[in-house]
Amino acid sequence: MTVHENKLVSEIESLKAEFIKTTDKLIKDVKRQDKIMARSDKRQQQEYDELQVKFAEVEALQKEIEETQKEVVFTMGAIGESRSKETGLHVKRVAEYSKILALHYGFDEKEAEMLKQASPMHDIGKVAIPDSILNKPEPFNPDDRKIMDTHAQLGFDMLKMSSRPLLKMAATVAHEHHEKYNGNGYPQGLKGEEIHIYGRITALADVFDALGSDRVYKKAWNDEKIFGLFKGEKGIHFDPILVDIFFDNLEEFLEIRDRFR
Amino acid sequence: MENLTIQATKYTPEISLDTFGMISLTGKSYPENTFDFYEPMMKWVREYFASSPADETVVNMEIIYFNSSSSKLFFDFFDLLDEVKDDNKISINWIYDEENESAEEAGEDFIEDFEDLDIKLVVK
Repeated sequence: MTVHENKLVSEIESLKAEFIKTTDKLIKDVKRQDKIMARSDKRQQQEYDELQVKFAEVEALQKEIEETQKEVVFTMGAIGESRSKETGLHVKRVAEYSKILALHYGFDEKEAEMLKQASPMHDIGKVAIPDSILNKPEPFNPDDRKIMDTHAQLGFDMLKMSSRPLLKMAATVAHEHHEKYNGNGYPQGLKGEEIHIYGRITALADVFDALGSDRVYKKAWNDEKIFGLFKGEKGIHFDPILVDIFFDNLEEFLEIRDRFR
Repeated sequence: MENLTIQATKYTPEISLDTFGMISLTGKSYPENTFDFYEPMMKWVREYFASSPADETVVNMEIIYFNSSSSKLFFDFFDLLDEVKDDNKISINWIYDEENESAEEAGEDFIEDFEDLDIKLVVK
């Protein structure tokens, strides 16, 4: 007996071949995908490791830059000090007063800290003032005064070329710390808010400290006299807002004066 | 058939397709949509082999950075070459910098997967 070959068998066999071909291709594709994924994971890990190393480097460099700036500013402040008869403590106190004023004025901690570091440079221009004037024991005559007053512009000229934030700030401080709120200051005769807030702050901090200290040409004033002057100069020499901040937070200022006496 | 050149961008390589038998990809490959980006190239290559390919076709690939969908695309591209290899002389140069470990590994993967294609690893 001959059995006819069922047509179904050949159809199924052809399907089977197709199926094997397709599954082979699928298996190949899945294997490829897995390989790609594994390579990609490995590379991602390497890339992220490298990134972290780079980030750490950038951070270290950033820190280095900031430290260098601080050091430059501090050293220049020290040079300025060495040229004037004021003590290092004066510079320290002015720095601290400036920061307190800045914080109460609304600066964030970072900017206030920067001003603290920049304000010691306010008198850097004095390095270019002749010894004969700088060290004169008697009061200045008008000619001496004129030369002495150039220190603000001189300080600015020394620092203005820098594009570093801290040195730029120091340039502004040096330039504007003798401006007066009513426009009668020097060197530019700026008025009110034309004077940069850094200049207005350092002006008050500098005068407060200078009045309370002995100098070659004068004795220290007592507090009563200083406070009287500040009240009188509110809106004239000094920014009225800063004078209010000063009196509202007097304890903090006196504490610093005691600490750096 | 016209030659086709696609200029490099920040995320894509320069692609130069020449009917005299030169296919080259040079640069980085991490496009936003890889398969859309390479579609014109794939279309050109399909048509090229279907119409009048040169006696010998040289493929130069110098991809310094690529994402995983680009890897997948390159596998697809080699699949395409694999299909026509019996009727065409095709030589492929996978070019990479000595320090570029991932490019080297990718090249090794291609060789492993396409035993019958003539793929050479070329260190720059």
